[in-house]
Amino acid sequence: MSVRPMELARPATPLHDRPVPRRWTEIDPILLIITLLLIAYGLVMTYSTTAETRTFTGDPMQFVIRGAIWAAVGLAVMTAVAMFDYAWLGTFAPVLYLVTLGLLAIVLQLGTASLGAQRSVNIAGLTFQFSEVAKILMIVVLAKYFADRRARIGSPLVMLFGLALLAPAVFLVYRQPDLGTSLVFIAIFFGIAFLAGARMWQLVGLVAIAAASFPVIWALLKDYQRARLSAFLDPYSDPQGAGWNIIQSLIAVGSGGATGKGLTAGTQSPLGYLPIAESDFVFAGLAEDLGFAGAIILFALYIVLLFAALRVAFRARDPFGMLIGGGIATMLVFQILVNVGMAISLMPVTGIPLPFISHGGSSLVSICFALGVLQSVSMRREPEGP
Amino acid sequence: MVRREEPRAFVHPRRFIAFGVVIAVVFSALTARLYDLEIVRGDYYHDLSEQNRILRLPVAAERGGITDRRGYVLARNVPGFAVSVIPVDLPRPRETELFQRLGAVLGLPSDAVGDAVRTQRQRNPYEPVRISKTPVPREIAFAITERAELFPGVRVDPESIRLYVNGTLYSPVIGYTGPITEDELGKLRDQGYLGDDDIGRTGIESIYERYLRGTYGWREIERDAAQREIKTLALRQPVVGNTIVLTIDDRLQKLIDAELRKGVEEDRFTQAVGIAMNPQNGEILAMVSIPGYDNNMFARGITTSELAALNADDRHPLVNKAVGDQYPAGSTFKMVTGLSALSEGTATRSTTVNVSAMSFSVSGTTFYDWRAHGTLDFVTGFAHSSDIYFYTLAAGTPFAPNVRGVGPDAIAKYGKMLGFGSPTGIDLPNEASGIMPDPEWKLATQDEPWTIGNTYQEAIGQGFVAVTPLQLLNAYASVANGGTLWQPHLLKQVTSPTGTAIPIPQAKPIRKLDMTQENLRLLRESARRVVTIGHAYMPNARLPIAGKTGTAEFGASSGRDSAGRNKLGFHNWFISFVPQADNSDPTAQIAMVLFTYDSSKSLCDNCFNPAVSMSQRILETYLLDTK
Repeated sequence: MSVRPMELARPATPLHDRPVPRRWTEIDPILLIITLLLIAYGLVMTYSTTAETRTFTGDPMQFVIRGAIWAAVGLAVMTAVAMFDYAWLGTFAPVLYLVTLGLLAIVLQLGTASLGAQRSVNIAGLTFQFSEVAKILMIVVLAKYFADRRARIGSPLVMLFGLALLAPAVFLVYRQPDLGTSLVFIAIFFGIAFLAGARMWQLVGLVAIAAASFPVIWALLKDYQRARLSAFLDPYSDPQGAGWNIIQSLIAVGSGGATGKGLTAGTQSPLGYLPIAESDFVFAGLAEDLGFAGAIILFALYIVLLFAALRVAFRARDPFGMLIGGGIATMLVFQILVNVGMAISLMPVTGIPLPFISHGGSSLVSICFALGVLQSVSMRREPEGP
Repeated sequence: MVRREEPRAFVHPRRFIAFGVVIAVVFSALTARLYDLEIVRGDYYHDLSEQNRILRLPVAAERGGITDRRGYVLARNVPGFAVSVIPVDLPRPRETELFQRLGAVLGLPSDAVGDAVRTQRQRNPYEPVRISKTPVPREIAFAITERAELFPGVRVDPESIRLYVNGTLYSPVIGYTGPITEDELGKLRDQGYLGDDDIGRTGIESIYERYLRGTYGWREIERDAAQREIKTLALRQPVVGNTIVLTIDDRLQKLIDAELRKGVEEDRFTQAVGIAMNPQNGEILAMVSIPGYDNNMFARGITTSELAALNADDRHPLVNKAVGDQYPAGSTFKMVTGLSALSEGTATRSTTVNVSAMSFSVSGTTFYDWRAHGTLDFVTGFAHSSDIYFYTLAAGTPFAPNVRGVGPDAIAKYGKMLGFGSPTGIDLPNEASGIMPDPEWKLATQDEPWTIGNTYQEAIGQGFVAVTPLQLLNAYASVANGGTLWQPHLLKQVTSPTGTAIPIPQAKPIRKLDMTQENLRLLRESARRVVTIGHAYMPNARLPIAGKTGTAEFGASSGRDSAGRNKLGFHNWFISFVPQADNSDPTAQIAMVLFTYDSSKSLCDNCFNPAVSMSQRILETYLLDTK
């Protein structure tokens, strides 16, 4: 029954050893529905947190329309990516790796300074955050790397070389400077290595080394990053300075109560107490407007999304697909943890967007791209065993 | 090759389970924290967000005005401006440049400007910090707003400046306002005083602060994080302070001031006080103290050098000498000696003393009169201001062996009855109490027994006797009105912003004099005789003015003081009142004291007491000439 005609399959395409035709029926419906719901939720939050800005600019739906356009672009990208066999990505992984580093280098060279950091590039009037795309590409690269070295996964050399792949990207992102995103890269590495079956002692050892070298890292941090860490430990040590964002975010979240103040009725973000309320601190705005209930609904959607992603990974036809799924899930859970944690003072302040909810095209399109790859993995999984 | 192994061996189910557990833990932690923030402590944070958003700002009320009894405005408010800096709006590269420019425009050291801004930047960079210590005039305010590009982060807000019309003329009475001190703020914060409030510092401004200060309003505003006002949510309008109507008559005040000021300019004396009152109710009609100071200097913020100049002047211009300092009364005090003797029955109208010599000696000390008068009775003794006559009434002299002296205790008793030795209680701060000495007082303060010489000196208002000009005036006023010692006062009426009268304490007598009408009438008659036959001669008199001169020696009678003014060594007093019909009726409507300090000696026929002729001109002009 389960014996396959492997000989026939072998050379059907040079891309991979086990070609499986895409089957639209294998699209993961839960993944798709949750994606659509989260995109919609994000548009609602954009509407709510930019309400006050609208009255100033006189362009009522400006931000919502822009968000909707980006959502449409994202869905198109997702569809297109899903149609292609993700194995192509593996084939071009070395190229993608160079593209990743190239994009990050471009940001450093041409980036537009905003809030003291060069994180975006302006092209044709649009702002691109290449590090968002770079994260997805890095997932692909690392997934391919570990998938190909599955047999020798126990070797420390595999681990070290994997780190060597990761290091330039982390460095370039850190130089922007964007500590948060460089931490996302590191998280992705650990997530993929973990699911690839890396030895636990190696992973734990890496964490231990990182912890031991904390004084060195601390010395390398920029002043504002140190201030943020100090403020995280005690926001009231500098309530008008580094602690301001944290305190105001806590006030926004807490004042939302059980059911929130209502859409657009929040006061913290429209009056400017909550900085960058539509992206970095969007969760605080959400919790203020929609309260505990709104946050729980968001969490529920995330949890379902994450487990759907894990299920796709679990059922992938090959290690590459599995590790892509794991990498995407890692990226999502890490960003959610850091962004939400920051808003409720469980995490230090870093500029990581909240998936789907933060207003911003690069982030949304990148995530759609990732979910398109995930759907591609899903569509090409092994037929269910008999 | 790969086919050999289990087809799906690359999947590590336990790692997936672990991954799932991590997700569960992450979301549990987030949810738990969120539950704590939003459900458990939601109300607390909701309050915080409202406090963030809503700010109640006080809205200052204008201070009430001050007018004379006819409504002539003496103090009002004019618009001025406050200059502040919002640190967050000031680009750091330009701050040194701004500090210098702003310092130059406002007349402040640029370091002071810089310190204020830097301190505020630490505290709250979004909140403006006031740089101008005093109200800024319109021209400077406009200069700043018109060249806003030169003054980044600077804002100009209207505020009100106290303006005193005729500042120097009225400063002894009205005083001035000044910034509230930290100590006062600590006590008055509950009454709504603010850190940058002004408060009455002295004079009427201080005494009647409660009437003048308006009721502050408030404004509830919604503000954004930059403390910018988004909209006003609620408002309570401030209520302007009440207007104070003084008993002062501006016309009389100016008449007195003109005469006294002329005397100072002509160097006939260096300091002067003039007070006029209505003897029938204690209303002060005029109160002049020269030299004064321009209280507008305080309203716009006095500079260190201006204040130093005022403090360096040994005439003490900041003291209202009508009430704030005490002097020997001189012969004016003979009224007290006379009334004591009359009331105790040791003397009558017809008690005669033959002043046959200019001097006599007691226990080795010689006492003088200014001439050998011959035989005097009470009226002529008072009219000619014979010292020996009143020595005799006080303690007895060889000139009239049958006249018994009334003694120092009696003089002190009637002196105190007439208000000497204690403040009159006028509505002004820093009133001196004067000294009404008696043997007990001397023993207590000097640790020496009283001598007969003390009694002689006391009898003619020298020695230990010290009075304020107001006490002296008030004592004469009580004689002029038939025996009521009124409490002098400056407050005639308080008018609310809507025009209604606010209840104020009624004018009240301090006491009724325990003296007979006959004796008081005798005193008034004698005082009239001072003018008609005595040495307060008034040529071409148009009014039946009565009065009493006084001259007191106080020290150096030659040389010059630190400012180069003549030291003439005498105080001259002239207290006058104008009986309505004749010199005996108690219905005088005006009593006045003029006191000139450091003036020429007048205790001779040829010399003149400058206060007499000035009094005649003032009273005749005020009462008879067209108003």
